[in-house]
Amino acid sequence: MKPPEVSITVTDLSLRFPVYGVDAKSLKKNLARVTVGGRLGSSNTGATEVTALSNISFNLRPGDRLGLVGHNGSGKTTLLRALSGAYEPDEGQIEVRGRIAALLDLSLGIDPSATGVDNIRLRGRIAGMSAKEIEGKMDEIAAFSGLGPFLAMPMKTYSAGMQARLAFAVATAVEADVLLMDEWISVGDAEFKKLAHRRLLNLVERAGILVLASHDTQLLRLYCNKVMRMEGGIASEVKDIRRIDELLAAA
Amino acid sequence: MESAQHMLRTGRRGTLFEFSMALRDLAMSWDRRGLAWSLAWHDVVSRYRGSILGPFWITISMGLMVLGIGLLYARLFGISVAEFMPYVAMGIVFFGLMSGTINEGCETFVQARNMLSQTALPMFAFVWRTVLRNLINLAHHAVIIVAVIVVFGLWREMVILPALAGLVLTVLNLSWISMLAAIASARFRDIPQFVMSVMQFAIFMTPVFWKPDAFPDRHAFLTLNPFYHMLTTIRAPLLGEQADGLSYIVLAIAAVLGWALTFSVFAVTRRRIVHYL
Ligand SMILES: Nc1ncnc2c1ncn2[C@@H]1O[C@H](COP(=O)(O)OP(=O)(O)OP(=O)(O)O)[C@@H](O)[C@H]1O
Ligand SMILES: [Mg+2]
Repeated sequence: MKPPEVSITVTDLSLRFPVYGVDAKSLKKNLARVTVGGRLGSSNTGATEVTALSNISFNLRPGDRLGLVGHNGSGKTTLLRALSGAYEPDEGQIEVRGRIAALLDLSLGIDPSATGVDNIRLRGRIAGMSAKEIEGKMDEIAAFSGLGPFLAMPMKTYSAGMQARLAFAVATAVEADVLLMDEWISVGDAEFKKLAHRRLLNLVERAGILVLASHDTQLLRLYCNKVMRMEGGIASEVKDIRRIDELLAAA
Repeated sequence: MESAQHMLRTGRRGTLFEFSMALRDLAMSWDRRGLAWSLAWHDVVSRYRGSILGPFWITISMGLMVLGIGLLYARLFGISVAEFMPYVAMGIVFFGLMSGTINEGCETFVQARNMLSQTALPMFAFVWRTVLRNLINLAHHAVIIVAVIVVFGLWREMVILPALAGLVLTVLNLSWISMLAAIASARFRDIPQFVMSVMQFAIFMTPVFWKPDAFPDRHAFLTLNPFYHMLTTIRAPLLGEQADGLSYIVLAIAAVLGWALTFSVFAVTRRRIVHYL
């Protein structure tokens, strides 16, 4: 058997959120015109539902770095979570070959009352590293975070920027083929941003595929070579990043 | 079908498919058993961070309860302390395992919400986390059991193997109850309250503090109480008595039926659980 190539194949993906404890009827009158959000409606059983993704299909191959753009609530985060394997499709199919690293939320698995070092271990375990792998990477992660003696202190004594540094350092320490990121790269001070940028580029180079959701077109131009626009859960075609303005104007 | 290298997610494809996906989740939780263990251990460590005695605080409060109830009730019931104290000690410690695993089961998925909504981690891993955490706590409280065994010289008559078998059967049953509570609590937020009330009621209805001598063996009042069977299969052998074989059979059947039920519920609701949260 040949080693599986890195790829993402999404076919006719639809995803609906059931919303419990809300009466759809009381919502309907407020639905006249909305620019944000997915479509609200009722399922055949009468429960309220939000259609976050409908009929999305695309293909990504090694070297593809896809930027997702779209209004608030257009389904970018939902698509990333579906690609990470957390949300199951209601219809259609998602196939991802290669190790997935989802960097959607920096605070994932972080326990504020535990020390920096403990949090590195915890987060590493969640990301799928073995205890041994984590110990092997500990020095590198510690050095990159630049937190020095603070690593022995509880996370709750950190400033927001310090927390972000640590979380970023661990989150990007994983070996991955497919990297999923939701907008959060703007962390830390200027110096750290530069470091983070270099590390990300490095990671993106090693990872075969990147999917990055962002509202910042500058950022997308920097990291991505392709772009897809989401609108109310419907995706445009995947286009070259140079046509991003055209894509945004087409609304 | 699924590995770290390959992920396939599809829409519903019939009941059989849903069951195979649930089975896959279970298998993955075995592959990632280190994770469940790390999380459980982390829970214990972090709950008691900054305290000197850690989980032994609970052990101490249990120990005091054992002393108090052991002395008082022995007098009230007119039983010798040497007979009653070990009985109560084991009752309190093992019932603690039962109520802990079930009550905390309500939190299993709710607490893991963040991780479940952005990773492909197996949901079973979080069930094991709750069970393992309670076993770690039990290991601390075992100090009390060892103490009564030594002080009252129980080691002369006790038999370990049947007690271990009872413990294994008990944990098998507690796990499915805990998981069922986890799924139900994710969907309906009043379940934790309900479960807590049931467990509070159960501690009095189960022979934890009192001896079931007033009832003839196999009285329906006892036979229908699963906690009675769990407790008696672990406690009786340690006290050097023989537990009723029926209790082992009841537990074994309950484990099989309970897991069949829980697994089916999981197979059907698995996709939705993350949206309940
Ligand atoms: N847990 C949830 N339950 C119900 N509906 C949800 C949930 N998460 C998202 N949605 C709905 O799904 C739609 C898409 O949301 P999503 O978070 O994917 O948007 P987004 O493109 O990431 O937006 P933003 O730019 O604000 O981050 C929205 O209509 C939102 O209301
Ligand atoms: Mg978003």
